[in-house]
Amino acid sequence: MTGASASQKDYKTVIPGDVFALWVDRLGEQYTLTGPVGGGVTARFEDISRFAQMDLDYQSTMLPPGKRYLFEPAEEILSYDISGESNIPGNNRETGGKQQKISVNLPGLPAGRRALIGVHPCDVNAILYLDKVFLRGPYIDPFYTARRENTFIIALNCKSVTDLCFCHLLGAGPYLKARAGYDMLLTDMGRGKGFLVELVSEKARELFDIFSSGRPPEEKDLSAMREAEASLLKGFKKNLDMAGLQNALLSRPDHHALTETSDSRCLSCSNCVMVCPTCFCHNVREETGLSLSRGGKSRIKKIRRWDACQDISFAKVHGGNFRAKRHARLRQFVFHKLDYEGQLGTKGTVGCGRCIRWCPTGIDLTEIAMAMMK
Amino acid sequence: MSFYKKRAFRPRTGFFKFTCCTGCGFELAYFQKSLEETLRSFDFTFFRLASSAGSPEGPFDLALVEGAVTEPFQIIELKKIREKSKVLYAVGSCAIVGGIPAIKALSPEIEIERAAYKERFFGLSSTRPNVIDDYVKVDGHIRGCPPGERDLEEALASVLLGKKPEFIEYSVCMECKRGGNACVLVEEGLPCMGPVTNAGCGALCPAHHRACYSCFGLMGQANVPALKGKFRKLGFSEEDIERFFTLFGALEPSSTLI
Repeated sequence: MTGASASQKDYKTVIPGDVFALWVDRLGEQYTLTGPVGGGVTARFEDISRFAQMDLDYQSTMLPPGKRYLFEPAEEILSYDISGESNIPGNNRETGGKQQKISVNLPGLPAGRRALIGVHPCDVNAILYLDKVFLRGPYIDPFYTARRENTFIIALNCKSVTDLCFCHLLGAGPYLKARAGYDMLLTDMGRGKGFLVELVSEKARELFDIFSSGRPPEEKDLSAMREAEASLLKGFKKNLDMAGLQNALLSRPDHHALTETSDSRCLSCSNCVMVCPTCFCHNVREETGLSLSRGGKSRIKKIRRWDACQDISFAKVHGGNFRAKRHARLRQFVFHKLDYEGQLGTKGTVGCGRCIRWCPTGIDLTEIAMAMMK
Repeated sequence: MSFYKKRAFRPRTGFFKFTCCTGCGFELAYFQKSLEETLRSFDFTFFRLASSAGSPEGPFDLALVEGAVTEPFQIIELKKIREKSKVLYAVGSCAIVGGIPAIKALSPEIEIERAAYKERFFGLSSTRPNVIDDYVKVDGHIRGCPPGERDLEEALASVLLGKKPEFIEYSVCMECKRGGNACVLVEEGLPCMGPVTNAGCGALCPAHHRACYSCFGLMGQANVPALKGKFRKLGFSEEDIERFFTLFGALEPSSTLI
């Protein structure tokens, strides 16, 4: 125990901001740099060439960086060619039942290396949640795995909280407590005092070759950090008894707080799900296109896209739609975020507040839960 | 010649036009990416925009119908087309939701006639506009103004493969968010119809900082009252809001809330 904490301490250093910036610029020789551009709550992660292009004071982004870059909005996972005279099933009668030849093409796994810089604690926790979905269990996703391995994550402790944040209720922020699953953790020490850099992964220790040019953190640095965190914690506006929600929401499936909100305000537009950093649902569709017989071959692609439980066709199965009503779909989202801990052993929310911010009518899942628990 | 080698199965196809701008026909005959494949794979026995030859008599493996129904004779024609076609797809917003020609549904015919022709025109038999679903069974809706490439290809390929087409049924917002566009409704307060509009366009307007104007028509279970409430909060007048919702949706029920 003591050994572990001592070595952790060893991998902390305080580095002047300009020195750190130069290191990031150099990292760009090996990695595509991706960081927050444009400030406030509408910043966006973009590929950049230099550290100076980033705004590390940003508060939030519309699309979460983890989901955006590790789990692509749309990607081809497979394609197959059908060769022969014709690919029309009914036509085989005319061609004497001639068999079609099918050959499967697997696309190459994503190979580009990317450094995600300035990822907030909620979004790092969301990546750890996506890991449980895509890296565990009987089916391991090769595309996610490849991107995850090729992505260097530099987390950044928050410098401000917004009115919609509730990460503090879930232990997902504003300072990152997780000690694995990402590479580096930055804490801005304030004006001109540089960054406190923590090297979490082996990879970070290998890449961060300027460790010795920093100074070891002193007690006053660590106490300043604690003070900063304490003052951030006072800034949160939302409060909710998270532990009390498990199975409690589920016992009130048709509560009027849900039905009234969904009838009067829910557009079923799926914005909440699209911007959610932990929503992992996707569908896989075969797209034939019309290039059916180019070169005597027909190529059919299987495309995976982000899907959403708010979409009316999401729960459409043979014989009907098991979430045909709007409030049943909103309920699925709210309960998946705040109740269903049984699925992956943790709540489906990290408290980033994106679903509230980007809902055109401002539906707030914490308000629904509060009204339901009254 | 070998390029257009006759396939064993080329569906006999008719393209029919009712009241509309013919934009869907243009899309199919001139603008879409898979034009070569379409011409090679389908035997257009009737397509006035592409060729003056051919006959509307049929029979057809596939009938594509664009335009709204605004005159009584069109109903009879439509029913004939249905009878002699194995598969009938409605193409474009006019045929599917009423589109632009349906705007006249908002005023009495007598006012529309006077506005258009100044005096009573006795040769005219224009009626209240309707979608083609009102009169015949439609096997699929290729939405758009003009149709989106994806749904158009899905529909045509499905006929060739003998499968049921799978059309997009979700909101423009899903395509918009996947594309990573800034939200013009939440961020800029533009009257974007994306949350209630059927996708298929790839969020073309929001990607160019324009509000969606619902040219694909409302999606299933669109919560119209909720979006109207949002527009009121943004400060738009009732008249403006009414216009946003009737530009392409004049025939849509004012509330599709479920």
